Amino acid sequence: MKALLSKSLRGKEVTAHSRSSAVHAVNQRLVSHNSSESLGFEVILIANECSEETKVKIVESVKHYGMEICKFYFCKKDEVIKTLQSNNVKLFLSTDSDDIYKALHAVMKLKLTYDISTGVVCLHVLLSLDVPAAVLYDQNGVLDQLKVTFSGDIIGLSEDSLDSLADFGFSESQIKTFKSAKICIKEFAVLIGEIRRRFGHENSPLCTCLITAWGSRNVCLSALKILGEWGLDVDEAFCMAGAPCSPILAVVKPHILWDGGLHNLRDLPNFEL
Amino acid sequence: MSLDPVQVMKGPDPIPNTCPSASNGESKASWEDSKDIHENTKKPKTPKPENAVTIAVSSRVLFRTETEQNVFEQKGVEEYLRYQVEHEDEPFAPGPAFPFVKALETVNIRMRELYPDSEELFDIVLVTYNHAHVGVRLINTINYHNLFIERFCMTGGSSPIGYLKAWHTNLYLSADVEKVQEALAEGIAAATMFMPGKEVEVSETQLRVAFDGDAVLFSDESERIFKAHGLDKFFEHERENENTLLDHGPLKGFLEVLGKLQKKFYAKGHRLDCPIRTYLVTARSAASSGIRALKTLRAWGLEIDEALFLAGAPKGPMLEKIRPHIFFDDQMFHVEGAREMGAFAAHVPYGIAQKYPCAKNANAGK
Repeated sequence: MKALLSKSLRGKEVTAHSRSSAVHAVNQRLVSHNSSESLGFEVILIANECSEETKVKIVESVKHYGMEICKFYFCKKDEVIKTLQSNNVKLFLSTDSDDIYKALHAVMKLKLTYDISTGVVCLHVLLSLDVPAAVLYDQNGVLDQLKVTFSGDIIGLSEDSLDSLADFGFSESQIKTFKSAKICIKEFAVLIGEIRRRFGHENSPLCTCLITAWGSRNVCLSALKILGEWGLDVDEAFCMAGAPCSPILAVVKPHILWDGGLHNLRDLPNFEL
Repeated sequence: MSLDPVQVMKGPDPIPNTCPSASNGESKASWEDSKDIHENTKKPKTPKPENAVTIAVSSRVLFRTETEQNVFEQKGVEEYLRYQVEHEDEPFAPGPAFPFVKALETVNIRMRELYPDSEELFDIVLVTYNHAHVGVRLINTINYHNLFIERFCMTGGSSPIGYLKAWHTNLYLSADVEKVQEALAEGIAAATMFMPGKEVEVSETQLRVAFDGDAVLFSDESERIFKAHGLDKFFEHERENENTLLDHGPLKGFLEVLGKLQKKFYAKGHRLDCPIRTYLVTARSAASSGIRALKTLRAWGLEIDEALFLAGAPKGPMLEKIRPHIFFDDQMFHVEGAREMGAFAAHVPYGIAQKYPCAKNANAGK
């Protein structure tokens, strides 16, 4: 299983480091349980449009911080997608909106993209590739537990329910987005579930979490059951029933948050072609 | 360009505030009810936490979970979780906080009749440090009992205290003394609850909340004098300080929010049949030390519907008559006494009484 990390050119070493350490912690624990363990996280680093100087800087930084990066890809922006495909990437993480936006827009296969006001944080859904993409958080200090969070709204809603979202003002293309997002997160969730099962309920280096921002308790219930069927029994679950998520997220402190694009779609410009 | 998780969700929350709640008893997400929202029938929208009076309840006080607790203590967490999953279709029985939560819903219904768009309502959040495995059984139970609880925090073993603050919690009820003490230390009103020793019927139309005075509504300063120097010194101190306000205690804020809700009912002419009623049940004496308590409440602008000055008499018989949905006291022996007489008692582990729990007779004649 491979997780692809895109690195900003402006020195986000510390951020990437904490995430990489958390991933490293998971890998260490997996191997310590079973030395012939085949499951694990492989982190590939991708940076695009770098000068030679920057390339050197990046490699040096990785060495300096002792990060476990198994491959480096320095490529042009339009090669990002090919790189993701050829490496069978299960999850694409990024913090750099410009990078992603240009890369994805250039490929012209992106259905939707959204840029939150500061331009610093991005939430993207790479439907065309069936590669789920998620938000990267800055987690200074939380180094020995990787926290992965899923949206209960997308997972918990049935086909019919997703269709009836039209009554709430979502467009057809947005609804298609959610449906596809639900399908494409399954593979990742199954893998995370497998990894999670390698550890006990306490002192696990991997912690999984479900946040249902909008749906009712029964949507949350449905999501818990569906994830259970996929082999992922989440550790934590939160049901917000419309209350703002940010105070809870500030306590949960996820490293990775997948929400299928739900939270910010209402104000999205529609880039569908 | 570092990311602050809080920034991610900044800006207007694009999700509409109406939350399509599924009908009870169904275990799959049921959006047929979205039509209900349009027709504005059954399930009203849940208020924003900062506007509502948020009551955080743990699963162990909302429901009876002694069997499961025994499994956890004797066989460990893995076996406990396996047991819960095995029994996930069996609803839990109501626990000590159950009638209280039902009464909160009654108040909400009455409030919505008078103020359809108000967010000043009770909002109940289930906050438990159970793993989400137990979530299925908990949600099934909530559906079974038809409770209006749409918000949960299942923290998977981490401390719930951070979440209490995030939810703007006004009152936290738990079975765990340590968690309650942590909450109190953070300035959140909190208490542990106990099942009454005998069957008791409480009102289904009126929420009744009873408070002890010292170390609950008020600080424990007078309690300290009494413990250190005895009854005479206590009386002397109270006389000398009759016109000095007592400092506030951990539950003062909760009484305050109850008062705000009460005033909304009064404003619409429902003073006599207000669905919230508050009681002060104190060992203080009306003729002497009670005066300071009343003056303090008045200075705070807080009304309390009934004040019972027992001058040291046991609280149990009074509480049996009042039948509160919850009675807060800082001293375990009062809590025990109340329980024996069939009251839903809650212990507030605050103040000097926790260090020097006293014997049954020592509090006489205050």
